[in-house]
Amino acid sequence: MVKNYDAVVIGAGNGGLVAAARLAKEGKKTLLIERHNLPGGFATSFVRGRFEFEASLHELCGIGSITGKSPLLKIFQEVGAADKIEWVALDEAYRLLTLDENEKCDYLMPLGKEAFINKLEEYDPGSKAVVTRIFDLIESIEKTLDFVSNINDFKPSMIKEIFSEHTDFLKVANYSVDEVLKAFGVSDKTRDILNGYWCYLGQPTDELNVIHYFTMLHSYIIDGAVIPRGRSHQISTALLEAFTENGGDAWFNTSVKKINIENGVATGVVLDDDTQINAKVVICNASPYNAFTKLIDENAVPEKFKKEVNAKTLGAKGFAVFLGLNRSADELGLNNHTYFIYPTNDNRKCYELSKRIETNDVQATVCLNRAFDDCSPEGTCILYMTSIFAGDEWSKVSVKDYYKTKQAFAKKMIDNFEKATGVKIKDYIEEIEIATPMTYARYTDAPAGTIYGYEASKEDGIVKRIVFDLIDKGIPGLYFAGGYSTRHMGYSPSYTTGDMAAKAAILAMEKEVK
Amino acid sequence: MSKKFSVNGTLKDSVNTIKFLTERKQFIDNAPAVLPTRTDDFGVNKVAKCLHPKEQKLIISRIEEHKDIAKSYYFKSENDLAYFKAGQYLTFKLEIGNSVVTRSYSIASSPASALNGEYQITVKRIADGFVSDYILDNWNVGDEVTAYAPEGNMTYCPLRDAENIVAIAGGSGITPFLSLARAIDQGYEDCTLTLLYGCRTSDEILFKAELDGLAEKNEKINVVYVLSNSDEEGYEKGFVGADIIKKYAPRGNYSIFVCGPGGMYKFLESELPKLEIEGKYIRFEVFSSGKKMEDETKEFNITVINRGNESVIKANSNETVLCAFERAGIVVPARCHTGECGFCRSKLVSGKVYIPEGEDKRRIADLQFNFIHPCCCYPESDLVVRIN
Repeated sequence: MVKNYDAVVIGAGNGGLVAAARLAKEGKKTLLIERHNLPGGFATSFVRGRFEFEASLHELCGIGSITGKSPLLKIFQEVGAADKIEWVALDEAYRLLTLDENEKCDYLMPLGKEAFINKLEEYDPGSKAVVTRIFDLIESIEKTLDFVSNINDFKPSMIKEIFSEHTDFLKVANYSVDEVLKAFGVSDKTRDILNGYWCYLGQPTDELNVIHYFTMLHSYIIDGAVIPRGRSHQISTALLEAFTENGGDAWFNTSVKKINIENGVATGVVLDDDTQINAKVVICNASPYNAFTKLIDENAVPEKFKKEVNAKTLGAKGFAVFLGLNRSADELGLNNHTYFIYPTNDNRKCYELSKRIETNDVQATVCLNRAFDDCSPEGTCILYMTSIFAGDEWSKVSVKDYYKTKQAFAKKMIDNFEKATGVKIKDYIEEIEIATPMTYARYTDAPAGTIYGYEASKEDGIVKRIVFDLIDKGIPGLYFAGGYSTRHMGYSPSYTTGDMAAKAAILAMEKEVK
Repeated sequence: MSKKFSVNGTLKDSVNTIKFLTERKQFIDNAPAVLPTRTDDFGVNKVAKCLHPKEQKLIISRIEEHKDIAKSYYFKSENDLAYFKAGQYLTFKLEIGNSVVTRSYSIASSPASALNGEYQITVKRIADGFVSDYILDNWNVGDEVTAYAPEGNMTYCPLRDAENIVAIAGGSGITPFLSLARAIDQGYEDCTLTLLYGCRTSDEILFKAELDGLAEKNEKINVVYVLSNSDEEGYEKGFVGADIIKKYAPRGNYSIFVCGPGGMYKFLESELPKLEIEGKYIRFEVFSSGKKMEDETKEFNITVINRGNESVIKANSNETVLCAFERAGIVVPARCHTGECGFCRSKLVSGKVYIPEGEDKRRIADLQFNFIHPCCCYPESDLVVRIN
């Protein structure tokens, strides 16, 4: 059987969903293919007993609950999904705790620029002046990025503008977070508190690109963070609904066997039942590993992009514990939404320790009831804990040892949480589910169970990706969206690359017509 | 920002920024121009596939008769069998006539046996057991059958459950607990098991010799038989209720696991509150109570949308939407048949369905956007359902 479409999108993850929704909205006849029975990829939820657990989202930026700066909301509005999602704004950034007895810390940071700076001044008197200057730099970098991302029609005069108006950006573009904070002369305490979010990007701040991190601080602390009331599954399903309302076809439980490349140009896909889909463009939300080793004929993969995949390192592998507790958050004393619990504030050390199951003690934990209390039945609450692993030690866990190993690590995370917060939760676990790198591999086909795409290493930081990495990987008609793409991993970046891929594809189709 | 801001001085900063151009080129150029590792070849992905294969082709290696009541089927495979936790079930896919049906059976063998290449399930002959009857009458040694990966949540979890399990089994509901008893005995689970096994008469007890043997040699395992329809020496008489549980439950904290027929669940619902134990310590294997049959069966049409193709099938008000699919030979990835697992999730484009109380286990957004689990939905009008 042969079917003809303008566009085919492989994978209904965050990137694929936005790409499909955008294409359909622009009137392109689009087919979205998903091998799973649900949309969303990582962005999903699951029910156990009387609890519905969020599978992966801790907080979402780009919806602009404080400043109204909301690039992501704008995308959702434009594709027709925004009014289907109910957002809850958060007011707390994070509570930062360490396990190391010798450097115990406990800092509770609010969202909002002024509130954040003032709170930091409370914890570290005298920090206000320098932190204000750091936030000036954060805002200056944001201005440059806004300028660059609004360039639709490049003119040589813009280069002059960049060199005259955007010097801050140019100065720091190739520095790490730590290098820049050191130049500001911040105290260790202020540095530790500012670096609290490092686990969201999974890279130690001695190599994490400063623009990457500062952009994230801008989007969370200055612009504000939200979560969707119906879990991330609500976003995924809203995007799917918007897509089908605009005439898109979505086929689930369907996989793609092959991306057809003719004379170096992508021309469609072959499905698991040998149905031939002809399309002017193909958007790939599958990982480059799957694209290059399973879907595309080896000869059609340009050498440069084989090298690109091999040069990059897989990002953090995920581990999560989902708890439905049979007491309310108040009764238990779970007073915060986001807990970052680290073995030490030295995040390089945390990262190195996270290479081994035995020594990894990193966790980012959310009590969803602190966003909205009716997320679970009265008298109960939901707590979910995520850890990240550098390296690939889970590959050494045998099938036989699998359940034992995951139970033991989950227990350690719960023990660490109790130790760091003083809150007792063990006796109140009514439902528990544990996700390991194997779980992420199962549901998303992520190589090694990574939840972060490629590492944001020094060589592969976000600025370098934006400047050098191509969204089409040198195969005309084939565009890549999602967590391995140019904006690095995460919800907002994946949605963004989906939109970028769709827009690039639409532009290419229009040029073709002309 | 102040124009004077610099990290390492203006000159060094400029050099550092320019360096980034060359660094990046080297970073890519130095990598080998070979295909990257295939996703399936990563260690984690290999284990994930062993635990959750898409499908398993199983060969019936042995059939054991349990009087006239039931048969145990033993399976082997050319490939590794998916590992599991005691208490999980296998869903089989069968083609019967023009129908394609799925049915789930708890695994009776221990997790260790899966590592050694064998599964065991036990199928009991029951009234109206369309699929069970088919299996009992048609499956022979040497036949190849199709099963999905093990699923199910009625498993012992030390972080959640008490370390003493009081398992209440009725009829063929014994199988997940036989698996648990074997797992305890072989060191695969670290809990104690007090098994309260309800049957009508002693003739109906399955695996008695093995259960007695396990209880005899392993102090962590205790087995009590409770007969409802006959008064026999050495057996408890009546139904498994609060009194019997109190009599045999270990001292201290315990969790209750229940697997059995609907009548047993109803009885326990009124009995268990007498024990005054917290809800988190009581777990029922999910089970569909179905709906109260209407005297008059109404006929409806379901328009099924599958990969863009539409077909119209017959359905009736006393059968689930999934049942209508199965009858029509439409393959949907169903597993649990109780509304729990969500594999069969489909979009209800139009029409009205009835979902029995307590069986609606949908996600919040699925309710919002009208997605249903066809395995627990009964048509109340003509329907349009998009399954894929």
